[in-house]
Amino acid sequence: MTIVQPSGGGAAGRSSSSSSGLADVIDTILDKGLVIDAFVRVSLVGIELLTIDVRIVVASVDTYLRFAEAANRLDLSQTGQKGLPDLIQDMTEGGSRKKVKGATQGALDAAGEKLRDFIGGSDEEEEEESVPRRRRRGED
Amino acid sequence: MSSSTERSRTAGTDQADRSAVSTGSYVYGIVPTDVELDDARGVGDPPGRVKLVRHGEIAALVSEVATNRPLGRPQDLKAHQQLLDAAAAEVPVLPLRFGAVMADEESVVDELLAPHHEAFLAGLKELEGRAEYVIKGRYVEQALLAEVFAENAEAVGLRQEIVGKPEDATWDARIRLGEVINQSVEAKRDADTSAMVEALVPRCVAIAMREPTHEQDAVHLAVLVETSRQDELEQALDEFARQWEGRVDLRLIGPMAAYDFVMTPQQEQEGE
Repeated sequence: MTIVQPSGGGAAGRSSSSSSGLADVIDTILDKGLVIDAFVRVSLVGIELLTIDVRIVVASVDTYLRFAEAANRLDLSQTGQKGLPDLIQDMTEGGSRKKVKGATQGALDAAGEKLRDFIGGSDEEEEEESVPRRRRRGED
Repeated sequence: MSSSTERSRTAGTDQADRSAVSTGSYVYGIVPTDVELDDARGVGDPPGRVKLVRHGEIAALVSEVATNRPLGRPQDLKAHQQLLDAAAAEVPVLPLRFGAVMADEESVVDELLAPHHEAFLAGLKELEGRAEYVIKGRYVEQALLAEVFAENAEAVGLRQEIVGKPEDATWDARIRLGEVINQSVEAKRDADTSAMVEALVPRCVAIAMREPTHEQDAVHLAVLVETSRQDELEQALDEFARQWEGRVDLRLIGPMAAYDFVMTPQQEQEGE
């Protein structure tokens, strides 16, 4: 286990992930971390393009249209005209929580899809988790 | 010392290329030299066996990889991160960005470890007892939109224009509505992010803002924390989770390697 799972607590709404999804992985390891000098590095097929391709564009016309459509679907009479949080909560517990999860999952799948398309691979075993352990010599 | 070995190595591989698979040393990250490695598998198909290449007081986590095949399947990405995060939970690690491959183990020593020994060692000392955590918050759509409509009269008007009408007949109003909503969301994101950063500053060694990866992102932060103070971080986030219940879904990911807090001098010069 890579993660020290906290006691859990009664934390409403916050989840501690013991493993991160593919989208989280992509955000992190394609974009951050030390970079070896380009002259030293051996070039590897596909990596550079991959880095650019998986970026998610924020605030495009697509974003606007998606927000507009979501607004179109929104039933204000049920959420309360004033947008009172109390009134909204029932709804979000039921419907939207699921929807949001769904949307996230969609993004994950899409990212995976894109990666696969890109490199032409088709393996789907994403859940393989063999986590190595390592100890420091002399650690008490 | 490398110029003569360099030449003979190149000559050797030119011939070998045709007959055999060409390989390189995939480098995951840098750790202190006094680290023990249990059996671990890395990137590639079949996954390469991870080993330590040591030099002085530091060592590189490497595995052999074929350089004539694309790398970057989801399994490869996960293998890279899992190895580093598992390491980071126990020892200081300087993570490399995905996709770093060097000619062979000799060049890992000569060209990576030896020239940067002092800098890497200093970096590892700074990371001792510390780890990175990523905080992701995403707005719950219905609650978000209800907030926007409660605050923004223009949005309410635009919504009335489009409700129940086909997309192509209300194109301009839709674009404008989306833009107005997006601006509101950006303002909320800035405010919510600031509030969280302010609350976390006393509990963190460093905080790095990350770009949003989704239009409904509320917060996206990487924090460097003393692992002994992880519970304080969790308490602070639980407080936000309570405050934002039904409004923002919060996730805490980690401990992981300090991807957001390592930089080469070159990267620093490029800005940020």
